[in-house]
Amino acid sequence: MTTVALLGNPNTGKTTIFNSLTDKYAYVGNWTGVTVEKKLGQIKNSSVTLVDLPGVYSLNPLTKDEAVVTSYLLNNHPDLILNVTNAGQLKRNLLLTIEVLELGAPVILNLNMIDDLKRQGKYYDPSILEDWLGCKVKTTNARTHEGVATLKADLANLTADQTSSSPLLLDYPPMVKQAIRQATEALVQDYDMNHDFAQWLSIQYINKNKAVRRYALFHDLTPLRSQEKYYDAQDFEGQIFNTRFSFIERLLAAASQTISSANQVELTSKIDRVVTNPVLGLPIFAGIFFLIFKLSFDWVGTPLSDLLDSFISGPLSTWAEQFLTAAGALPVLRSLIVNGLIAGVGGILVFIPQIFVLFACISLLEDSGYMARAALVTDRIMQLIGLNGKSFIPLIIGFGCNVTGIMAARTIEQPKERLITTLISPFMSCSARLPVYSLVVAAFFPKHQALIVLSVYFLGIVVALLVAKGYQLLFGVSDSSVFIVELPQYHLPRFDVIWHGTWDKGKGFVKKAGTVIFAGTVLIWLLSSFSTHGYVTNSSQSFAASLGRQLVPFLAPIGITQWQTIAALFTGILAKEAITSSMMVMFHTSSQAVLISALGQFINPVAAYALLVFILLYAPCFATLGTIKQETGSTKWTIWSLVSSLIIAYGLSWLIFTIGSFLV
Amino acid sequence: MAATYTLSHFDRLNEATQERLHNLGLYEGITVALIQRYPFHGPVIIENEHQRIGLRYRVFTQLTGGSNQ
Amino acid sequence: MISLITNTVIILLIVALAFWQLVKVFKRAKKGKCAACDYDCAVKKQVLKQKSLH
Repeated sequence: MTTVALLGNPNTGKTTIFNSLTDKYAYVGNWTGVTVEKKLGQIKNSSVTLVDLPGVYSLNPLTKDEAVVTSYLLNNHPDLILNVTNAGQLKRNLLLTIEVLELGAPVILNLNMIDDLKRQGKYYDPSILEDWLGCKVKTTNARTHEGVATLKADLANLTADQTSSSPLLLDYPPMVKQAIRQATEALVQDYDMNHDFAQWLSIQYINKNKAVRRYALFHDLTPLRSQEKYYDAQDFEGQIFNTRFSFIERLLAAASQTISSANQVELTSKIDRVVTNPVLGLPIFAGIFFLIFKLSFDWVGTPLSDLLDSFISGPLSTWAEQFLTAAGALPVLRSLIVNGLIAGVGGILVFIPQIFVLFACISLLEDSGYMARAALVTDRIMQLIGLNGKSFIPLIIGFGCNVTGIMAARTIEQPKERLITTLISPFMSCSARLPVYSLVVAAFFPKHQALIVLSVYFLGIVVALLVAKGYQLLFGVSDSSVFIVELPQYHLPRFDVIWHGTWDKGKGFVKKAGTVIFAGTVLIWLLSSFSTHGYVTNSSQSFAASLGRQLVPFLAPIGITQWQTIAALFTGILAKEAITSSMMVMFHTSSQAVLISALGQFINPVAAYALLVFILLYAPCFATLGTIKQETGSTKWTIWSLVSSLIIAYGLSWLIFTIGSFLV
Repeated sequence: MAATYTLSHFDRLNEATQERLHNLGLYEGITVALIQRYPFHGPVIIENEHQRIGLRYRVFTQLTGGSNQ
Repeated sequence: MISLITNTVIILLIVALAFWQLVKVFKRAKKGKCAACDYDCAVKKQVLKQKSLH
């Protein structure tokens, strides 16, 4: 089996290449840090495996996702490295290319986004690049699939004789060269290392690569470690950078050709003049999100969901009931299937239209290149709370799912800022919470659905920011934050990319319906259908009811007085969608309309809003807790995350309920 | 036409920031165009070789040799 | 009689399936995975490998 590793700077379209080569879609976005872990794919009709690595600017990692790449190269030996570059930004992209070529593995250099280069009125002669660098050069424009077929054929027909090559060695200053040679010889002799790998390791070590220095420490590579002070005192790092840079400048000068440019109207600067406007930037940011919620709740999502709901609660339930009766099913089984599975799992599936509309909008934003601008216009606010605009991106991703949001926090350079972003991520209202909002707003605020939901989302952001400020004061985060963000060219959105982005995010929702929500529904059905006396037809005598009633005194101060809601909050920790499905099961209905009127009898709008806030904040779901544990490596922080959410949720709902009841 | 600035004094910045700037092709002596400034010392957008980059006001003033803070 | 057995078997099957799913969810959550997403196992291997190095 042949392995090809895909490597390149962020924003070079690596993931688009990966997707078109493997006929399988991974997650694509037009902003830095979409791939935070590596992904595997198979090139169709071949035995070649493609590994998509996170985008990196150099092999010296500054962030956690960048460290994945260096560690991959240290521990794995791909048969070929496909170095994807942004042709319009070749100069800085080649810095990474040189580091890769020094490794000595066979490389194909891919000049992607060749259209951007042509638009600049420039072109590079591939044969000169091939000559100087000693590797194959292929040009593509992945978004229009131009050149991808040839690249694919090249990779699929990869044979053993092509998979050998010798490393590139630049003409470093004599002192540096000598240091590299001495270290390499010692490593080959004393550690039985492969010569090319030893040489690459030496260059990287001398160049202050943090990951390689850790590797050397771990493997106790004395020849390198004993010279560390000398290397650094002589500023070999600076000399290496200068040598590489002047090599690239000479190379590009030699390969450069001028072509007549189409002289297109600069789309990017025109849009940027509006969306990054100092005054309008933030209002536009808020406006875009309001529009998204309008689309999902008022204009497109809700009407479709209602249609689906009337089918599931009407014909489907009736038909199932009739069929089961005719087949001789006992009342218990009928209750499990109709009031349990159809009501619970079906009750979640009706939200598919709303969620897909929301995801389509977020995918559109990601693909267009707006996300980096959003990071920019929010940076000033984020700076006030000790974070930077980059933290905003994981938070927005958290609107989809908090787990992916926390994963995206890996692109943040400062460990403390990363920890804070991880801890505040669960306050972002993930899509799993959406069904229950949708129900509550339909019951209590039918006229202002989008606005109320937006206010809950906004409240989540505000709470997250305030908590972050608290952590900043607590940790004493200094002002040494790194905020440098690349603003990519805008792309005209492409339907297939957006559709697949939407599907990629949304399919998880569908899948959850069949796994965790199904399980939660059965669990709550059992609890609400049985008591110590066995099967009960009246759920108010069940286990769930007695458990819920015991907790009423604790939750009454925030306006939650029905046992059904309290029991539903418990299953909500499994997965937030389960709150909705549990309510459906416990109210024995598969119809939203019935549930809405049932809810309306118990509480008033103020209590309903307090309930929304409590559901927004009260606890991260199990998967999110697991991810926090994974990413922080600390049980303490995980427990703290759960406890602090509960306290904040309780406090805030209490405030809203108390003040609201006083006013109304 | 946008105002242009020459970047220098990279040694005043912390190592991570320096490195990130190098990664994006910004180094000692390079000329960039100032595209956008934000009020209240908010971020600054600069352009170099068709690449737009956003950075913080403080970093920008340090690089352009202005009085910091 | 047969009908009672069939009914019980179906109910038990559904409940067993649900509990099996629940166990799976717990296992995945512990590893920092969401029930929704399928990050490749190779990724996790990589993370574990990295951890064992330190």
